[in-house]
Amino acid sequence: MNALAWKIYRLPPALRSGRVLIGGAIVLTIAVIAIFAPWLAPNDPQEQDLFGNLLPPSWDPLGDPKYPLGTDSLGRCILSQLFYGARVAMIVAIVASTGAMVIGVTLAHIAGYFGGWIDSLITRLVDLWMSFPPVVLSLILMLGLGVGVSNVILAIILVDWTRFCRVVRSDVLVVRQRDYISAAHLLGFGHFRTLTREVLPSVMPLIITMMTLEMGIAIVVEAILSFVGMSVEADVSAWGVMVADARQYMYQSAWGLIFPVLAITITVLGFNLLGDGLRRTLDPRLRQQRHTAA
Amino acid sequence: MSLIEAKDITLSAQIGTVSVDVLRRITFSLEKGETLGLVGESGAGKSMIGRLFSQLLPPGFAVSSGTLTFDGLDLINLSAAKRRQLLGKRIAFVPQEPMTALNPVLSIGSQFNEHLQRLGVRGASRRRELAIQNLADVHLPEPKSLLGKYPHQLSGGMCQRVLIAMAFAGDPAFVVADEPTTALDVMTQARIMALIAEMQQLHGTAMVLITHDLRLAAHVCDNILVMYAGDVVERGEAANLLADPRHPYTRSLKRANPTLSGKRMLLPTLPDQMPGLIEFANLAGCRFSSRCPVNADDCRGGDPTMLKIDNGNEVLCVPACASGARDTIQVEAPPAPTASGTEAPLIELKNVSRRFVSRGKWFAGGSSVDAVRNVSLSIHQGEFVGIVGESGSGKTTVARMITGLDQPTEGQILVRGTDSTVQSAEARHERLETLQMIFQDPQSALNPRRMVESLLAQAMEADHRNHSKAERAARVSELLSEIGMPPDSRRRFPSQLSGGQRQRINIGRALCVAPKVLVADEIVSGLDVSVQAQILNLLLRLRAELDISLLLISHDLSVVRYICSRVLVMHQGVVVESGPTEKIFADPQHNYTRTLLAAVPPDDASAPWPPKYEAVEAA
Repeated sequence: MNALAWKIYRLPPALRSGRVLIGGAIVLTIAVIAIFAPWLAPNDPQEQDLFGNLLPPSWDPLGDPKYPLGTDSLGRCILSQLFYGARVAMIVAIVASTGAMVIGVTLAHIAGYFGGWIDSLITRLVDLWMSFPPVVLSLILMLGLGVGVSNVILAIILVDWTRFCRVVRSDVLVVRQRDYISAAHLLGFGHFRTLTREVLPSVMPLIITMMTLEMGIAIVVEAILSFVGMSVEADVSAWGVMVADARQYMYQSAWGLIFPVLAITITVLGFNLLGDGLRRTLDPRLRQQRHTAA
Repeated sequence: MSLIEAKDITLSAQIGTVSVDVLRRITFSLEKGETLGLVGESGAGKSMIGRLFSQLLPPGFAVSSGTLTFDGLDLINLSAAKRRQLLGKRIAFVPQEPMTALNPVLSIGSQFNEHLQRLGVRGASRRRELAIQNLADVHLPEPKSLLGKYPHQLSGGMCQRVLIAMAFAGDPAFVVADEPTTALDVMTQARIMALIAEMQQLHGTAMVLITHDLRLAAHVCDNILVMYAGDVVERGEAANLLADPRHPYTRSLKRANPTLSGKRMLLPTLPDQMPGLIEFANLAGCRFSSRCPVNADDCRGGDPTMLKIDNGNEVLCVPACASGARDTIQVEAPPAPTASGTEAPLIELKNVSRRFVSRGKWFAGGSSVDAVRNVSLSIHQGEFVGIVGESGSGKTTVARMITGLDQPTEGQILVRGTDSTVQSAEARHERLETLQMIFQDPQSALNPRRMVESLLAQAMEADHRNHSKAERAARVSELLSEIGMPPDSRRRFPSQLSGGQRQRINIGRALCVAPKVLVADEIVSGLDVSVQAQILNLLLRLRAELDISLLLISHDLSVVRYICSRVLVMHQGVVVESGPTEKIFADPQHNYTRTLLAAVPPDDASAPWPPKYEAVEAA
């Protein structure tokens, strides 16, 4: 075994997968951009330059080196808007998926662990909830809650907790049958301790995977809602808003449309690659096979 | 010319960049109607020999030298098309796991039909007739209605009979049976072995029986090869090999298995375990020498050769060992642990019953099953008590009720005088301090995400015991030495341990809070005999050091005889007989106990076994 192969072998298994590495690199880059947007952005994203509107990127002969990716219809710097838009996207992704995860996973544990009537109650609730079309449900919620980023997050949580609940519950049901759960009871563990020390760590890989995928979904939902003007205020940069604005001028200059769409696509691709890679490396069944083979 | 002729077969495997010999110079022959036993523990390579016949070898494995012929055909270099002509028709297989060998979504009838189609039987009605005929041959009741059933509706023993019927349907000349009874209990094992013997006689079939049980092989086979780490270490006529084994490994294999009659001898244990495939590369010369109890100077260096010795056996060893000059001395075991005091019993069951009620669907009425009926039992300080019975006899339900994982529908369970069936904090506390359970399957009983140190001290994390990190670390060190594990194993995960080590951790975890009674549910049934001997001796040592009591639930009567002073025999939820182990095993009163004892292959190879099919079936 050569030196490089040995190094790769020593890494934790999750990091040996190409999908995890590529997806993780994309997500990390976007996160760094979002955090350091004020320092990285060449211009103020909201500053208008009405004499230089709809400029192409700087590599075009007609472009202006001051605006690396050109300007929109009001002469705002597209690159700077993208950088600031990443902040909205990442905040929504992290807060919404965490919220949905906490609600879904908590209910899933209660349902799967205790079983009986509480399980039927939660399962029926999830079934009922999932029978609403998600887009309609989120639009109704937005009408009821009013516009704003925090309400977008709330809407995503309220729509998507069921996804976590249903999938994690089935995993909890499997873990519950293991003898080590009975063993924990015999060692004097109460229900809460058994849940947090024995059950939760066992379903953690699944939760991590689902959260990664959920972040990608949250970004798309936020983009849709800001596209129809239900998310951020007019003076905040968001990728959906950029797409909506550029839509009217797409025949004069398509750049304003192409870049935010690319940003959304690459970010979601990054999350999906990461989630898919983690699923493959953390899946207990696949891991079990590796152990028996070894 | 013999039916099967294997000459100097060496099977090599490529593991990473290393090439190891998985099997070395395997030579044997088999005549028509004969049975050859391949005996050894897991990792010995016996299943690989079975796979040679089908050439279904794992990737990277290939025969590097030697020949294997069947009726004059070269099996190793046969074309795939020609091999397909042989397999299933002239060479048939009986698999180890009957439940997984049958397709769960197809009925028995359609699987049998498909098999007969492949054998070339024309006409659907002819195939149906044949299937019914074949199923009747293996004594399956109502073969007609069986055709419409699915594997999950049958017991493990019935599935195995269906597979035997399928194997013999093509009137094969040769059958490979790979651990056909390992997944089944003693009674079913006796029935299946009797059945296989009957079918073999009927068809004049030759058979290779792969098993880890030397006694079973000695009764069923004509000749036996004992395997260790890819080598045949001893071969000989079956009865002679069990009566007078000469290779140190065969001897320890025989002696590691407790006996059902005669003096109880202390089980000798070998250090460590069978080396893994990767380690084969580093084992120069005799692969057994590092574990060999003799391991004299003349063993090391140079390859051992197969020696023909005076009693007719052939042994892969040095001459002094092979002649029997260097035998280790066997020590008689101390009597099985009895009560150490005269105080009131720690655990007392009074007329305990457990009924499972299944709710009916819609308008159909529900049904109920009495898993346990009217069981009374008491365990005193320091006493080792056994419960034996076949699967489904209710023994596990008794264990679950004692530990509080299940509740009796009737009767009383007293733990140190406190009624444990009453739901109260006091009763729970009394139970947690007195009792611990060792689970059957360490794979499922150990949380794969906890390390050994975290598993061992897990009880100290519980709500009512709040121990510091230092206290826990100290206790882990104590426990590791008590269960005989090296100190450097504390930072390992269960997946990095062997089966025997996992079972030790399982025991250590139960010992953490210094309980008075351990309830052990089939804790050695998944282990190799040499590891089983280590665990049994560990339990006896713990009794001597800690004065614990044990309730051992097992279907293996010889294990119960080795460590339990008192035994209860359960059959269909009822205790049919109970008393001192020696007395019950020497002079059983109940008919069921007698049948159960007769189902175990006797220690004496000349005693007839398996019993005639009708005799077993009557029970």
